[in-house]
Amino acid sequence: MTSLTLSNVKKHFGKVDVIRGVDLSVEDGEFVVFVGPSGCGKSTLLRMISGLEDISSGELRIGHRIVNETPPARRGVAMVFQSYALYPHLNVRDNMGFGLKVRKVPAGERARRVGEAARTLKLEPLLDRFPRELSGGQRQRVAIGRAIVGNPEVFLFDEPLSNLDAELRVHMRSEIAALHKRLGNTMIYVTHDQIEAMTLADKIVVLREGLVEQVGTPRELYERPGNLFVAQFIGSPKMNILPIDAAAGAWPGRPAGAAHVGMRPEDLKLTDPGAGLIGGKVLLSEYTGASSLLHVELPGGEVFLVGCEGCAIDAGTAVGLTIAPDRLHFFDDAGRRAS
Amino acid sequence: MADALPMRDTAHRKDAPWLTLKMREAMEAWLFISPTLAGFLIFFVGPLIAVVWYSLTEWNLLTQQATFVGLDNYNDALFRNPDFWHVIRNSVVFASGLVPLNMALALALALALSRPFRGVVIFRTVFFAPVVTSAVAWAIVWKFLLQGEAGFINQILALIGIDGPNWLREPNWAMVAVIVTRVIKMVGLNMILYIAALQAIPRDYEAAARLEGASGWQIFSWIIWPLLGPTTLVIMVITTIGSFKVFDHIYQMTGGGPENGTLVLAFYIYQQGFQFFDVGYASALAMIMFVVVMVLTLVQLALRRRDT
Amino acid sequence: MTASLTQRRVRILNQICWTLALCVVAIPFVFPFLWMVSSGFKSAAEIFGSPSLVPREWQWRNFVDVFNHQPFARQYFNSLYIAVIVTGLTLVLSSLAGYALARMRFAGAALVGLFLVSALMVPEEVTIIPNFFMMRWAGLVDTHWPLILLPTFGPHGIMATFLMRQFFLALPKELEDAGKMDGLSRLGVWWSIALPMSRPALAAVAIITFLNSWNLFLEPLIFVSSLEKFTLPLALSNFTDPYGMPLWHLQLAATSLAVVPILVVYIIAQRQIIESFALSGVKG
Repeated sequence: MTSLTLSNVKKHFGKVDVIRGVDLSVEDGEFVVFVGPSGCGKSTLLRMISGLEDISSGELRIGHRIVNETPPARRGVAMVFQSYALYPHLNVRDNMGFGLKVRKVPAGERARRVGEAARTLKLEPLLDRFPRELSGGQRQRVAIGRAIVGNPEVFLFDEPLSNLDAELRVHMRSEIAALHKRLGNTMIYVTHDQIEAMTLADKIVVLREGLVEQVGTPRELYERPGNLFVAQFIGSPKMNILPIDAAAGAWPGRPAGAAHVGMRPEDLKLTDPGAGLIGGKVLLSEYTGASSLLHVELPGGEVFLVGCEGCAIDAGTAVGLTIAPDRLHFFDDAGRRAS
Repeated sequence: MADALPMRDTAHRKDAPWLTLKMREAMEAWLFISPTLAGFLIFFVGPLIAVVWYSLTEWNLLTQQATFVGLDNYNDALFRNPDFWHVIRNSVVFASGLVPLNMALALALALALSRPFRGVVIFRTVFFAPVVTSAVAWAIVWKFLLQGEAGFINQILALIGIDGPNWLREPNWAMVAVIVTRVIKMVGLNMILYIAALQAIPRDYEAAARLEGASGWQIFSWIIWPLLGPTTLVIMVITTIGSFKVFDHIYQMTGGGPENGTLVLAFYIYQQGFQFFDVGYASALAMIMFVVVMVLTLVQLALRRRDT
Repeated sequence: MTASLTQRRVRILNQICWTLALCVVAIPFVFPFLWMVSSGFKSAAEIFGSPSLVPREWQWRNFVDVFNHQPFARQYFNSLYIAVIVTGLTLVLSSLAGYALARMRFAGAALVGLFLVSALMVPEEVTIIPNFFMMRWAGLVDTHWPLILLPTFGPHGIMATFLMRQFFLALPKELEDAGKMDGLSRLGVWWSIALPMSRPALAAVAIITFLNSWNLFLEPLIFVSSLEKFTLPLALSNFTDPYGMPLWHLQLAATSLAVVPILVVYIIAQRQIIESFALSGVKG
């Protein structure tokens, strides 16, 4: 199977720089997720790997080949699109077999491969239907089936679940994870949903404004975010950040040069007013069933989010907040992790 | 799952490294567009340049020689030949009769037909039918109906005691006749454009206005008419340009007559160029028409931009 | 209960009044067609006789004489085959060029678009004189070539190109991307993905182009001189006696033959045809 390397890859549309120099290597069989806010260039980067967008400069290798100027269909990649992109005038069978037909694979071989993919994805009862007769989840599965049939070296997913409802999304997520386990192919997956990124990825690439902010396993990104942006982007609800000078009290383990401290809502614990590291007044308590989310206003006016399980605290109550010292994240003036 | 695609075996050979993806796309795009572009250059741009040259020359019919005469042809048109201003007057009368009449009728019909009722499809089909009919056929039938005393229209008028004019033999009546019959022929087109625009207006606006007690006329003048603004402008541009291009209709119905009473610019160009073979003068007229239409279009586009 | 009943009565009455008013307005739209067909059946003597819609004597002979007076069948066929060729050519060329303008990136795309769109503002009358000399130089006067070439490549063809472009722009792009991933060439994407999804636009272009060619008058008038090369609009105005006076009964019979088939198709497909014009009007 196949690894994939990007070296100083750039893309500009006219004068607008969309990808401003990306270096990345994807190991054979790895599940890599590109994540970032909208407009960060993650979809463009994926389309550059697929060949649907040309690469302005830099080098893209799939396996050992440089494929910058190779047409999409000869790169050995398959893509699953956000809108599924099923051909409306073809039924499921022909949709899945279309690429093989274009490549002049004989009909018998074509039927065998479509059948095999349909079996894997439990699509057999749907083979004669047209896309308009399918539910969103079924369409999604057909789109994946179409990708499988071509037996590509690398699968590319462009926000494939964003058009599904919440429940189906969770289900399809697990199916994609299972598919990766079974096929073992290299997969690159684009999403703006960090939960998807966390659950699926072997490796997450956080992008912002055409640059890579950080690359790492989900655990690394969550536990040791490389900068303020990643710290706030990964994790939900997002990390509370406090300028260090504004807060009274000593921060245990504060490194030299630290200008900001970050605390995840789920790491903060409630104590008596005045007893914790910081204190404040509860503005709002959002009850979500298993736990509540408190909005706590600090004396300086900042609002902290604090997660607490099984607590019932009214708005207006004064509380103290504490946290394990190893759960504090420090960042320097430039927003980089300080340690 | 181990069997690879056949395409991959040949991938290295077919990669054509001398052609980047970007260059390939541009090349293909030019190939796609080249037939249209070539035809455009040959049958449009070339002739447009040629007509400028022609308009500056005098053609000798016997020797087929062109002599450069500068702006003489334009001089002829604008200052020497009284026909020209007569033709311009006719064109302006024709346009200023046709455009408002056409648009008012189109809007009235659209308002009546923009919402469903029994028979609406039949009416829409009827009002649009002349649009798909050839202008020549339409003009022939109307010419027949508008014959002097024996014509059908006048026979009907006689029944109610009106002595109808000889429509196509009296200059002013002929102008009225070509305008009205042209409006009937073409109003369906503007009608459906207005219907499309009316149907695109959310019904909530009208409902809200009604709840506040607005009358039908108030709803129209305060809500519907302003919202139709962009459509009205588009229709005005199309109809005005169209009215300057009318040729077949007038050729059939009146032949530009009587006494040149319906001789409009498009017809005049044809007459000078292809009946009198005065190529230089006809080309100058064509240039003038080009400028008139261009100016009208740009003025209306400017109005549109100001409005939006 | 009574109030709502009265309200309903008022509404129905209102509707009836409106319908009657529309019927009156419809008279000048419908009547010429009826009168055309009815007069086509009348004898030369009766035609200006009585204003009756039903002929006293049905002159079927008129419809035979039409074909004896001039090669009307040949002229009919000319119109038909020219319109079919122009429509076919326009469909292919406008959808190719429209696709490139909508979907492909190349230096100068915007310029080419602007260049082409300027043609929409220029009436054919402006360029017809040089076109005539060009055709004469090429030996194509009194052939059907000008009637095929000028509408295909003139403002009408450009209008079709932009109609197609607008439509392609609104198609979901990912489908075409999927086609590229599946190994289709550009031409393949155009043919097997973009075109099948563009049936409404293709139908609109076909309908408008066909009618435009079928009804074309200025070009045939200028370029064609022999009777057997006439197209219908030209032939229709040619039913005259040796003094140049119209033979109304023949002319109206011939006009009926030219108009009625189009009207029948129109009535069957009125929805599609009207929508096509709406589409072209809105985009163009």
